[in-house]
Amino acid sequence: MDAFTDLARHHRERLLRFLLTRCASFADAEDVLQDTLIAAYRYIHSYDPRWRFSTWLYRIAIRNAAKLRGPDHVQIGDLRDEDNDPLQKCIAWSESENLWVNARRLLNDEVFAAMWLRYAEDMSVKDISQALDRSVSWTKVNLMRGRRVLDAELNDAATKSEAYG
Amino acid sequence: MPPRKVKPMDKLSKRLRDDAACIDVAISEELDHRIEASLRAATPETDPGRARAARPALFWWASTITGVAAAAAVIALLNWQVPDEPVRPPPVPIAELAPLPDLNVEAAMLTAPLQQELEDLQSDFKKAEEKVRRDIGL
Repeated sequence: MDAFTDLARHHRERLLRFLLTRCASFADAEDVLQDTLIAAYRYIHSYDPRWRFSTWLYRIAIRNAAKLRGPDHVQIGDLRDEDNDPLQKCIAWSESENLWVNARRLLNDEVFAAMWLRYAEDMSVKDISQALDRSVSWTKVNLMRGRRVLDAELNDAATKSEAYG
Repeated sequence: MPPRKVKPMDKLSKRLRDDAACIDVAISEELDHRIEASLRAATPETDPGRARAARPALFWWASTITGVAAAAAVIALLNWQVPDEPVRPPPVPIAELAPLPDLNVEAAMLTAPLQQELEDLQSDFKKAEEKVRRDIGL
């Protein structure tokens, strides 16, 4: 129990940051985090040591967040109230707009999750495919698509700022 | 072994990493207590495979013996109900089943019509022969 608590403590902040991008409110993200850790503890016997522990945790978290959205899997963007967006509230002040906010607007939930796990969590393609329960080729293709979309967005923003500046 | 070549991080990757780091989250004390309390209340489920393995060896023997005893009882019961020799009907004389016709019939009675027929045919044959001879002038 204590070992698990220590392990959970090591991962929970990163998990919560990820869940903020997948839940409609801060309270929802906290609830999903709690449920994820309890589920991981209860079903610890089903953990496959060939996986990274964090990959397994993210997989449970993604499922729990999807469960909260209901069986129709409504896209996060459709649920969120712009004024009370938990992600916006947690973003530290910066001169430029946070690219993850744009990513969430431009990418679908799964591609967004793949991009987050790759670039925010530094996960390998194999781990991402396990966490999302997708094939490695699906993950590679969608990471590339996500990159292309965000690259275009980044270049577009740079062009605009040059034009105004 | 040569050191692993680290791919330089491109502009987009760096931006995504930096922007993720800008998302400032902290686990509140209340959430910390909540998580800890729910973890203490939860009990890990046992692995069904492990639970099977944890059964004592005696359990296996007991179930084997019970199974063998049940099979033996069924076999004994079936054999007990079957008689040693198959039941056969008492022998019945053939004559009683279907009475045979009287075989002591006169042979002449049976062959007489045929004999008559033969004689008639021979006489017809002779008559026809004579007629043919007469016609050809012999």
